[in-house]
Amino acid sequence: MAQASKKMITDVFVEGARKGWNICAMSTIPNVMMAFIIIKALNITGALGALGNLFEPLMVLVGLPGEGAAVIMGAIMSMGGAVGIVMGLFSEGILTGEHIAILAPAIYLCGSTIQYAGRILGVIGTRGNLYPIMFAICIANSFMAMFVMNLFFV
Amino acid sequence: MSATDDQKVTLGNYLALAFAVVFFSGLLQSSEWYGVFDFTTLNGTFGSMADGVMFRGKGGSGARDGFLFALTLVPTCMFALGMINVLEHYGALKAARKLLSPLLRPLMGLPGSAGLAMIGSLQNTDTGAGLTKNLIEDGELNQEEAEIFTAFQFSAGATIVNFFSSGAVLFTLTNADGSMAVPTSIGLTVAIMFVFKIIGANILRLVLKAQGKKVNTQTKAA
Repeated sequence: MAQASKKMITDVFVEGARKGWNICAMSTIPNVMMAFIIIKALNITGALGALGNLFEPLMVLVGLPGEGAAVIMGAIMSMGGAVGIVMGLFSEGILTGEHIAILAPAIYLCGSTIQYAGRILGVIGTRGNLYPIMFAICIANSFMAMFVMNLFFV
Repeated sequence: MSATDDQKVTLGNYLALAFAVVFFSGLLQSSEWYGVFDFTTLNGTFGSMADGVMFRGKGGSGARDGFLFALTLVPTCMFALGMINVLEHYGALKAARKLLSPLLRPLMGLPGSAGLAMIGSLQNTDTGAGLTKNLIEDGELNQEEAEIFTAFQFSAGATIVNFFSSGAVLFTLTNADGSMAVPTSIGLTVAIMFVFKIIGANILRLVLKAQGKKVNTQTKAA
């Protein structure tokens, strides 16, 4: 501890910034790029519009266009990817700043759960019959958070 | 580092935590001198290249646009994690653990000894999972407590690092007229995530209670 406290504040900052760089290079950039490719593919095939129509009735409850469902689906696979999808939809003019405010906490509350099933539930040794409940809680958390965030902008 | 260690938390640690809260809350977001204590203000903006367009350009799509966009995330992510490292160095998380541990029982029915694993889980999913496994093996958490705690960790896993490495950047988006696009703050978003993580854990608590009652009735019937 004594040794740690001798470090210069600038060195500590740089160490953290380096961690940030590694996360960006190894995770954020590839994930965001993948999200943009998926958005492009969904867009030119018309699947994005279809997805929007399909989820419109559900997403309207939380103040979002139907396409917002693509963000939540993407989030379950990867948080960084979902942020990429948000940015893609923002550039396309489908999502506004208010929509992003509603989505921001929701992305993380159900984020990367497919990956975390192994890294959290698997490691801790959660009973198999609780897996669906754990996933359901994350999705419920997301919807409740979107509902609450939406109240700020109504 | 044992799961139950209790290092002394100093005034400096609390100051670091208070600074963390103010710095990321957006309370002091301003171009006045006190903006120096605000993350978004210091994070700044990219300059425009021509006709007010950022280096990412306008009208791009697909992998190439995604790559350039992802590059715009890099400084925010490096700045945020650099600051978090500094705040952690000055004991902000130790102070947070000290403040949160006594609240674990009333909020989620968990013992205070889960405090370190809880703070660990906010930074890294694997640290949280590993420390939780240790707590179970040491008999600090029973099965039900471990499951409630797992529900807390599973929703918004590694909240701090994940949010600050990708989500924080959403708050730097600007509209075509240069105004900030997202009308909320990093602080409010983090608070909402934290509240719903606790609510999620309590949903599981209720589910387990209901399951327990069902098992009891079945046993009685048998």
